[in-house]
Amino acid sequence: MEKKFKPNIVGFLCNWCSYAGADLAGSSKTDVDSSLSVIRVMCSSRVNSNLVLSALLWGSDGVLVAGCHPGDCHYEKGNYYARRRFALLKKIAEVLNLEPDRIQLSWISASEGKRYAEVVNKFAEDISKLGPNPLTSNPKV
Amino acid sequence: MSNNQKETKNYPNKGKSLPVEKSIKDTVFNIFKKALEENIFDALLIPAKVPDTDAYSWILLQDESLFDIADPLPPVMTVQGGRALSSFSKNGELGLKIAALLRPCEARAVIELFKLHQVDLDNMTLITIDCPGAMPLADYMNDPKKIADSFKKISEKWEISESLRPACQNCHRFSLMDGTGPDLHIGLLGENNKVTLIANSPEGNDLLEKLGFESKDSLDKWKTEKEKLVKEKTKKRESFLKEWQEKTKNPDGFFNELNKCINCHNCMNACPICYCQQCYFDSQMINFKPEIYLKKSREKGALRFPLNTMLFHIGRMSHMVLSCVACGACEDACPVSIPVGRLFSMVGDKTQKQFDYVPGLNREDPLPLQIFKEDEFCEVETPNECEEKATEEVK
Ligand code: SF4
Ligand code: SF4
Ligand code: SF4
Ligand code: FES
Repeated sequence: MEKKFKPNIVGFLCNWCSYAGADLAGSSKTDVDSSLSVIRVMCSSRVNSNLVLSALLWGSDGVLVAGCHPGDCHYEKGNYYARRRFALLKKIAEVLNLEPDRIQLSWISASEGKRYAEVVNKFAEDISKLGPNPLTSNPKV
Repeated sequence: MSNNQKETKNYPNKGKSLPVEKSIKDTVFNIFKKALEENIFDALLIPAKVPDTDAYSWILLQDESLFDIADPLPPVMTVQGGRALSSFSKNGELGLKIAALLRPCEARAVIELFKLHQVDLDNMTLITIDCPGAMPLADYMNDPKKIADSFKKISEKWEISESLRPACQNCHRFSLMDGTGPDLHIGLLGENNKVTLIANSPEGNDLLEKLGFESKDSLDKWKTEKEKLVKEKTKKRESFLKEWQEKTKNPDGFFNELNKCINCHNCMNACPICYCQQCYFDSQMINFKPEIYLKKSREKGALRFPLNTMLFHIGRMSHMVLSCVACGACEDACPVSIPVGRLFSMVGDKTQKQFDYVPGLNREDPLPLQIFKEDEFCEVETPNECEEKATEEVK
C-alpha cells in the first residue's frame, strides 16, 4: 500500500491568543495533528506576505495564520490589518491560480484549546487531500 | 466587501479653450512661460530632450530658454514622472512653488506616493495632459528617428497602435477622470487646433485666474471625444485582461513568463510605487545557509538559480499591487522583455476591485492596507464566519 502523504504545514500563531490556545490543547491532552510546525509571532499582524510566500515556495504544503478573534487583539487592531493583508494575498493566489486553499486564516482564543485542535486537524485533512504542494517540486520555481 | 471610496468629485464642465497658433507645444509653453514670468510658480518639472543626443530626461526648469528642449509628450517614458518628482521632494517641504507636467499615469503615481509620504504636494501644482501613449523604450533606442516619426503620426491620430507600449495600448485612464487627481488638466482631444485648460482643484482655479483666464468655455466636444476613446480603450483593456487570465490559468503560465528573469530588479527600480530605500528582496533576509540549498536541491532533484525569482515577483506584488497605476515603466525597463507590467496590471485590476480602490484617483482615499472595517472579509476567515454573522443579524 502506498504510504499516506503527511503534509508539512507551517502555523504562525499569535502569542496572546492562538499560541495560548495551542498550549491549552496540549495541556488538556487534546489530539492535534502533528503536521503543523508552530512559529510563534507576537501578533497576527506580524505575519507579512513574505513569510507566507517563503514558506509556500520553499517547501511547506500549507500555511496557517492564526490570531485573536476580531476585537480581542492584544494590540487592539493588529488582526484587522492582518485580515486585509491576508485577503489580498489570497486574491493574488486566486488570480494566478496558485492554489489559494493552501493558505488559511483562523481566529483562536486562549481559551479555545478545542477549537485549536479542530481547526488544525481540519486544515491538515484538507491539505492532505490537496496533496503535496506542486510549487516545491516545480523546476520552474 | 468593503467600500472605502468617498463620494467622487466630478471634474468641472467648463474650461478655457485656447487657439493653437504655431503648435500645441507652443501654446502650452506660452502658458507656462507666463506663469513663470509672473511667479505663479518658480519652477516647472517637464520632460526634455538632452541636446545632441536622443535621450529624454526630466528637467526642473527655471530658465525660460530651456523651453527649446522641453517636450510635453515625448515619444518615450524614460523615467516615470512620479519617480522623478519624489526623488527631489521626499525629504521635506519644497519651499518653492513647483508645477509638474505629467502624463496621467505619472500623476496617479504621484498621488500614491503622496499617500506614502514620498512627495510634498503642498507646494506642488500637478498638471496632466491628454496622453496618446508612448513607444517602447527598447524600440526607440534601436532606431530613435524612425520611432519618433511613427510616434508623431500615431499621436496625431490618437491611434491605438500596436507599436505603442502594451501598457499604453491597454490604458483607459489616459485623460482626466472624475476625482481629485491633478490640479489642472490640458485637454488636447476634441476641437482641432484648440487646447483646453480644465481646472480640477482650487489651486487649479487659482492658477487660471492668475493667468487671467476665465473658465467659461464648454467642454462638451473634448468630453465627447475623450469618452469615445475611453470606451474604445476600455474594450481593448478588457480583452487584454481576458487574454492574460487565460494565459495564467495554470501556475506554469505565470512561471513560464518569468523564467526568463535575470533577477536584475530593474522592474522594481523603475516602478514609481516601489519607493523603499532597502528592498526586502535585495536584503539578506531571504538568504539561507548553504546546507539548506543543498538539502532542497536533493529533495527537488535540482535547484534553479537565480534563487527566489518567484518570491521576488509575487512578494513585490503583494507589497504594492494595490497602488499599481499600470504605467508599464517596469516592463519598459526589463532587459529580457518579460511582460511584467501586464502581469502586475492584471493582478492590480482584480485586487484593486476587491478593495474598491482606484490608485491615484483621489488624494483623500486612504491606502487599503492602512485602514480596516471591523466587519468585513469574513469570507477569508476559516471557519467561515459569514454565515454565522448572517444568522446573528436575523436574530
Ligand atoms: S499608460 Fe496611459 S497615461 Fe501612461 S503613458 Fe501610457 S497611455 Fe499615457
Ligand atoms: S508595477 Fe509596473 S505598471 Fe505597476 S506602477 Fe510599478 S512600474 Fe507601473
Ligand atoms: S526587470 Fe525583468 S529581468 Fe529584471 S528582475 Fe524585473 S522581470 Fe526580472
Ligand atoms: S495579538 Fe493576537 S492577533 Fe494581535
